[in-house]
Formats: sequence, structure tokens, C-alpha cells
Amino acid sequence: MTIDERQRRASRPPGPGTTVAIVAPGTTFHSVTEQISTIVTSPDVPPIWFWSFAAALTLVLIFLTGVVALISTGVGIFGNNIPVAWAFPITNFVWWIGIGHAGTLISAILLLLNQPWRNSINRFAEAMTLFAVACAGLFPVFHLGRPWVAFWILPYPNLMTVQSQFRSPLVWDVFAVSTYATVSLLFWYLGMIPDLASVRDRATGRLEHAVYGVLALGWRGASRHWRWHKTASKLLAGLATPLVLSVHTVVSFDFTIAILAGWHSTIFPPYFVSGAIFSGFAMVLVLAIPIRKAYRLENLVTERHLDNCAKIMLATGLVLAYTYVIEPFTSWYSGDKFEMAVVHNRAAGPYAWSFWAVIALNVVIPQLLWWKRNRTQPLILFLISIDVLVGMWLERYMIIVSSLNRDYLPASWFRYSATAWDNIMLYGSIGLFTLLFLLFVRFFPMISMSEVRELLPYSRPGGGSEK
Amino acid sequence: MAEVQTYGMVAEFDDPEELVAAARAVRDKGYRRFETYTPYAIRELDEIVPQDDWIPLLVLLSGALGTITAFGLQYWIAAIHYPLNIGGRPLNSWPSWVPIMFELTVLFAASAAFFGMLFFAGFPALYHPMFRIPTFERASDDGFFLCIEARDALFESDATARFLLSFDPLKVWEVDDE
Repeated sequence: MTIDERQRRASRPPGPGTTVAIVAPGTTFHSVTEQISTIVTSPDVPPIWFWSFAAALTLVLIFLTGVVALISTGVGIFGNNIPVAWAFPITNFVWWIGIGHAGTLISAILLLLNQPWRNSINRFAEAMTLFAVACAGLFPVFHLGRPWVAFWILPYPNLMTVQSQFRSPLVWDVFAVSTYATVSLLFWYLGMIPDLASVRDRATGRLEHAVYGVLALGWRGASRHWRWHKTASKLLAGLATPLVLSVHTVVSFDFTIAILAGWHSTIFPPYFVSGAIFSGFAMVLVLAIPIRKAYRLENLVTERHLDNCAKIMLATGLVLAYTYVIEPFTSWYSGDKFEMAVVHNRAAGPYAWSFWAVIALNVVIPQLLWWKRNRTQPLILFLISIDVLVGMWLERYMIIVSSLNRDYLPASWFRYSATAWDNIMLYGSIGLFTLLFLLFVRFFPMISMSEVRELLPYSRPGGGSEK
Repeated sequence: MAEVQTYGMVAEFDDPEELVAAARAVRDKGYRRFETYTPYAIRELDEIVPQDDWIPLLVLLSGALGTITAFGLQYWIAAIHYPLNIGGRPLNSWPSWVPIMFELTVLFAASAAFFGMLFFAGFPALYHPMFRIPTFERASDDGFFLCIEARDALFESDATARFLLSFDPLKVWEVDDE
């Protein structure tokens, strides 16, 4: 009996306390290779891919219109004005970078915690990180007013006899986000090398063979390669774990280092990190649910994955709810009247709608995840995830606008409202993200074949599996 | 025309268990220059196939270099090259440099992990004698290969081939070098 037949027959006993296996029974080494690499090598594409691509491309063209308008006219096309100088662009920045964090959590932290279920979703979660960071990075640059001189913030020898101010969190942020983008790219690519070799070996066209051949760098699966690959992956995971926490902490420093009431608070780093992971897992689910259906990947991305992601979402959502409670408490406890005024302004001021929407979307509705039925029903979970994404965007909007619009001097109070260009840039960036993700799904192996093989029965001597 | 050199003798298996058993026997026989090719990482092989791993040390040194670089960069700019007096704070205000020191440590260390792996593996290496095996594409799918290289002191074409055949592989290949 060949190993393929034995694997096909093996009905893997579910892990302790679970009823659904990580990988559906009947999956074999060969069937995984075929299933995943065929998505890349076959000329057939699900119709929904084309429709999504057309929609995303339309949004990208609208986005480019916005970019041209911004560069030719100036940052005045946005609704931002002193004192509400940040508004949409920085809301979008924080929202996108937060979304990226779930990808790193899945690929790095869950690797270190030895959670084998992550093996079949880590690849596209990392890709999500990469594209979310790409979208995030655009907004602070657009927001500069003169985007073409964005490099002035970097320390480099120049003839202007000025240099970066390292006491400013905005400079820290440049280093944090660019390091994060680089490390995410390296981690993603490193993990993909063995799978690119699988695609190379299965490519039919000459061009395909050459392109994937070069991308796979000559991977042969030698035991030394695997050893060094594992070492490098684990070290990258160990480095990415504090990195991901530091990135959103530094993003929150952009706020807390300022002495503005409503921002100047020590709770911001954990507040931002939990919110980031909350929204990131929502995005993982928003991507995973349609993809597993369109590409029939239900055997690899099982109900167990949906359930686990939903549980992490619920847990981080509760941490977030706790900070929502503790924030007004510390304001009250400080006895500072400006802090108290911000709490009042948030709950009953001109932007009270955003505050109450945040409570409803991020705290009340996610409580549905306590029921297992809701965590394993793809449609319900998809809707809750969309709700969380909207809620988390509004949360950043609320933090930024409701703190800035009424500062210490009532004479400078300002009613901010977004312009059409603000909305064009936001929805356009969603289009850009979707477009990049669709291209990834089409041209790269979106599930880690080599890591899924480790989960299969008979993958180790003695008939067991790696994990 | 120069005589064609042999790169090694390769046995093909379709079961990881057989491969691991064969690799163990090859090591016990006294071979040192041998290598396995598998579609995923098999932990047992780490102990069987002789190998060094210098990546952790490289990452440590590179990370330390990142920390020093970040401190040096910030100290030189903030205290020497472009000193700014902000509210009378000291020029060497190192606590506010910690975030960038951390970020550059991670950046340098992560780059060392990635490029170190490529360096030790000799990547990119788009050609290798093993790719001459007609079924070698199974090494990235469901095939398990064991190669005893010709440069091993104990290598001797016929004896090595017979030895590999004793493990009952699917096939034994003799692979030519360039």
C-alpha cells in the first residue's frame, strides 16, 4: 500500500477537546500539492475572482484620481484643518496598520506557541499583513502636504544642514513601520520558498517555469536547507513577536506623547495593540471565508480555524471593552477638568454618534461570538467581522476627531467633516488592498503546502505527524 | 572531452519512515557526505545528517550591531552634528532613542536570519546536479530522496549502489556531475 493510499484511509482522531480536525481526513501529500499549486498553475480562475478584480481595479483608478488631485492641488482637498489636523488620513493609517498585526500574530506568535492549526492560514494572513502595511504607509505620506519630500524625515547626509529629531514619536514611527514592512516581507518570502519550488516543479509553461524557478532560488528540500529554514523562521518569529507589539505601541506613542486631553494616557499601548489584533482577525475572516468557498479549501481551512479566529477576536474584543471602561475612569480619577471634558465631549458632544457606534459595533455585537453556532457559521461570522472592521475604523476616528476638535482654547474649536476626497482615499485604499490580495491569490501559493504536509498522518516515522 | 564525473548515488523512496531508516543506516555504515531531500521538514533527519547551524550566532551579532548602529546614529546626530536645545533637556537624551534602537536591532537581526539562511544554503543556486533526476520534482511533492555523494571517502559506485538497493527503494539513480 503506498503512502498516498494509507493517508487517504487514515481518519485522524480529533485533538483533545475538539470535534473538528485541523485538516480534513483523506488529505495526502500529493493531494495538498495538487490542490494548492493547481490554483497557481491552472489558467482557470473562479468567476468571482474576475468580478472582485474588476471592482478592485475600479476603486484603484478612483484612488489614483484622488492621488493626482492631492498632489496637484494640495492637502487642502481633505477636510482636515487646525486643530483637527489628523482626521481621515491618520485614521486610515492606524486602521490599516492594525489590520496587519493579526497576520504577524498568526505567523509568529502562534508558531512560537506551537499552534499547528495556524499552518494552513499563515501564508495568506502574512500576505494580508504585507498589503495592509503597504496601504497604511501611504497615508502619512499623503498627509505630509508635500509627499514628494517624504524622505526628509529619514536621517541622511544632506545639504540643508537639518536632521531628524529623534525625540519625536513621528520619527520613531517611520522606523517602526518601515522595519515592520521589511521584516514581514522577509518572513513571508522565506516561508514561501519551499512552496515556490513545488510550483516550479509543477509549472507547465516555459515562462512560468523560469519565473517560479528564479523565485524558488534553487530550493531542493535538502535536510540542511530545512534545518536552516526552520532556524531562520523561528528566529524571525521570535523577532517579529516583540516587533508587532512595538509597532502599534509606537503608533500609540504618536498620540500619548502629545499632551492633548484624551490622548495623553498610559493605557494607549495595550489599548491600541488589542484593538489592532481584534480588527486584524476580523480581516483574516473577511478574506478567509470567501476564499475557502471560492477555491473549495474547506478541507484545509476548516471550521476549527474559523472557530479559533473567532475566539481570539472575542478575547481581544473583551480587552478592548475593558479599556473603553477604564479610559473614562482614569479621566474621572485624575480630577483633571480637561480630561473630564473630553469624556463628556465624546459621549454627548458633536461626535457622540461615533462613540455610541463604536460601543455598539465593537462591544455589543461581538458578544454574539460567545455562541459556538455563530463562530462556525461562515455567513454570520463574516457579517460580525465586517461589523468589527467598521467599528475599529470608527474607534480611531473617534479618538482622533473628538479629542482634537475641542482643544484647550474654545476660540479654536472646530467642527470637522470629511470631504469627498477623504472618502475617495479611504475606499480607494480598500480597492488597492483587494487588488494586491487578488493578485497574490492568483500567482502565489496561498496556503503553505510544506507546513500542511507536516500535519498529515504518516508524515513522521511511526505513522504520526509533526504536531 | 573530459570524463563525466559522478555526483552521487541516489535512492528514491515514497515513505518518510523508509527514508529515515535508510539515512540512519547510511550514517551508521560510516558515510559522512550524504544528504536527504524531502518535501517538508522531518525533525529526525536533523540528528542523522551531519550539519552545522551558525544562523543563531550570526543573528545575535547582527542584532547587536543594529543596537550599536542606532545608538551611534542618534547620538552623533542629536548630540554632535545637529544639537537642538529643546526646553533645556540634555542633548544625550537616550531614553527617547530606545524605540529606534529596538527597531534597528530587529531589522538587522531579521535581515541576518533571512540572508544568512540564503548564504549558508548557497542560494540562489538555480542549477544543481540533483535536478538531473527525472523524478526529482517529487522532492517538492511526495518523494523522499537520499543521496550518497561521490566525494565521500567510502563511496564506491557498485558497492554504494548495492548498499542503497538493500533498503528496497523505488529506484536507485546514478547522478552525473556537470
